[in-house]
Amino acid sequence: MLISSVEKLIFEVISIFILIVFFDYTFGWLERKTIAKAQLRHGPTYLGKFGILQNLADILKLLTKENVIPKNADKLVFSTVPLLLLALFIFLVYLLPFPNSLGIDISIGLLAIFVLLSFSPLLIFLTGAASGNKFSLISAQRSVIMSLAYEVPLILSVAAVALYTGSFNIANIVYSQARIPFIVLMPIGFFVFFIAMLAELERPPFDLREADSELIAGWLVDVGAPYYAMALFVDYTRMFLGSLLISLLFLGGWLGPYLPGLIWLLIKVFVVAFVIVIIRATTVRMRLDRIMRFGWFWLLPLAVLNIIFTFILFVK
Amino acid sequence: MLTRINVGPIHPSTHGVLRLVVTLDGDTIVDVEPHIGFLHRGVEKLAENRMYMQSESYMEKIDYVAPMAYSDLYVAAVEEAMGIHPNERAKYVRLILLEFQRIASHLLWLGTFCNDLGLMFTMFTWTLKDRDLILNLLQDVTGSRMFYVNMRLGGVSIDLPPNFEEHANKLLDYLEKRFKEYEMFLEKNPVFIERTKGVGILKKEDAIALGVTGPVLRASGVNFDVRRDYAYYAYEKLHFIPQIQTKGDSFARYKVRMQEMKESIKLIRNALKLMPEGDALGMPIKLISPPVKEKEVIVRRELPRGEGMIFMVTDKQRPYRLAIRAPAFINLSALKHIAKGASYADLFSILGSLDLVMADVDK
Amino acid sequence: MKINKEELIKKLKELSSSGYNYLVKITAVDYIDHLEVIYFIRNMQNKKEENVRLDLKNGESLPTVIEIYKAADYYERELSEMFGIAIEGREVKRLLLEKWDGLEAPLRKSFQWGSEYKSG
Repeated sequence: MLISSVEKLIFEVISIFILIVFFDYTFGWLERKTIAKAQLRHGPTYLGKFGILQNLADILKLLTKENVIPKNADKLVFSTVPLLLLALFIFLVYLLPFPNSLGIDISIGLLAIFVLLSFSPLLIFLTGAASGNKFSLISAQRSVIMSLAYEVPLILSVAAVALYTGSFNIANIVYSQARIPFIVLMPIGFFVFFIAMLAELERPPFDLREADSELIAGWLVDVGAPYYAMALFVDYTRMFLGSLLISLLFLGGWLGPYLPGLIWLLIKVFVVAFVIVIIRATTVRMRLDRIMRFGWFWLLPLAVLNIIFTFILFVK
Repeated sequence: MLTRINVGPIHPSTHGVLRLVVTLDGDTIVDVEPHIGFLHRGVEKLAENRMYMQSESYMEKIDYVAPMAYSDLYVAAVEEAMGIHPNERAKYVRLILLEFQRIASHLLWLGTFCNDLGLMFTMFTWTLKDRDLILNLLQDVTGSRMFYVNMRLGGVSIDLPPNFEEHANKLLDYLEKRFKEYEMFLEKNPVFIERTKGVGILKKEDAIALGVTGPVLRASGVNFDVRRDYAYYAYEKLHFIPQIQTKGDSFARYKVRMQEMKESIKLIRNALKLMPEGDALGMPIKLISPPVKEKEVIVRRELPRGEGMIFMVTDKQRPYRLAIRAPAFINLSALKHIAKGASYADLFSILGSLDLVMADVDK
Repeated sequence: MKINKEELIKKLKELSSSGYNYLVKITAVDYIDHLEVIYFIRNMQNKKEENVRLDLKNGESLPTVIEIYKAADYYERELSEMFGIAIEGREVKRLLLEKWDGLEAPLRKSFQWGSEYKSG
């Protein structure tokens, strides 16, 4: 029984943070194992049973190394912007509602999330451009161009969901999926949202920013070891955010029989993230102009079509 | 505004140490200049100071992906200089081992080509597993997995083991199934097709003028293959058909190599059926080699990368001059012409489809 | 066939316009008082091959054939740095060796092993 609202706030903050760390850690392990099995290898097996402690060892090693800042880099921007990026994504997870009285209830949650999400291309570009070498600059430019093309279908497909429900409160959106989840009502919208989310998360096949065989590691070429650990953390937190959004908006969130709501939510998040990993193991990287053509000529008309259908069939 | 980017020499995408200085205008390539020579070991000069059969081991290390092909090229040149000819069974044995070597080399090429395109290591591990099975088979025959040194004057050093035929047939059945899976995986994938079709087109007249060779030449529509036009060993009896494509882009070069792998499987099956009984052992290596009869020798073979040629001027116990024509050397010089006007991400698709091994370029 | 250095370009033009349009290799052999340069060319229609030879005295230069066969670029560069033959008509840069100015060309018989370490 919680006594005051301050203590409730502290409990919520700590519990969601623990959830983020748990997801990042477990998901890092799952990704390494799954990609290894797809490539006929074993993955980490040495530390802990099934190699669970491998990621912990990697992060500890990276955090204890020396931080090197290249001479041509802009010191202030280079040292602080990655931290801002991490803080932005963690803050965005807090804006989502969680079941069992864990989350913060915000009445314009949907709008707030997508407004703040559009800050991330700016910060990524700053990180890449402040590194001071040509490869990071090229990859930063590529990521900004890609984000421009894919944010519009993303927001349009979310607008269709908000149009149907009639509110921006994500908890209301989840409760209005009590009988049929939105993936059945708006399959085109789900498809557009999934692909546009993959582009926002910069996961393969849209991973131009970290094109391994062309630009070595993109914006991560010159960052020092502690920042590299933080970059991994940012990557998995982004994927947590993306999978949460997909499961809350289209798959029915925490609704389901028998099990408590939180367990259902985590199951759905893991299934979505697993599909994203399988896509990573089996696709070839796309070229930039094909990505742009796909975004403007295919996804955008599909998203507009989706809104028109939703309006005609369900809202009137 | 022109920028110059340095790609390499250590780079996760190039096959060996190759340094490319690329001049870009925005995203289009204006000029590519390769800097090579990191792996130059002076094989041609070394052979002038060794006896004939002492330099067979040097020849293998020119191309470390398909070593038996080069050692066969050199030993054939020495045999022609001395007037020794392999008997019928030795010809068939050499043909079978060489065709297995060709399949192994193309499998490694397929894995690294997909690596260049961005499919990080998934296809690479699968094709390396198949290549591993072929190398196990070759280890049963010759005793080592990579540098065999098993060609002798007039035959091979160890004859085929007694149960070779059934092992080879089982392996060939397995490989046929795997090739069907690879084709299905890659050719129905729209992203792969979009990254290789229409990329790096080389027309027929340019291909002949630039002097390219091997699958690169055949993908541009030129109907030339050393195995049919200057036929050696038993290729005439086995009804060999060269594979030709006409488009000349990266996809055509990929398709030619896939078809060549399937053609090799057919050749091995036919050769196993037609092989006569007998003894395929060659002469053991001695300090004083047999007397040399010819003054100048020219020999051509179809290596997995293209057409290789040796021109040798002989002396009594050692070659006076050994001139090697390596196929990857002249294929690399065509890169400048093909890549002009393409976008930067296409450079790796073109470079991967040319199938370069740097040790072959530098000799 | 054996020709003189002056009729090289004329002979190659004649051969390339009569169907011998594929250059296989340009190579050289060092007979100690003179060099012999050999051009291998092939006809892609009837698959016949022809080799054109000429003698070069020490210190003479070779005219470039790059207008007739585009494939001659890399072969001439390799020839000029391995045998020390100067190519007249265009500027050739080094291909395989580095920091070799002033040293003996490697593939000649008068090259001494280890002489490349004496300077610097």
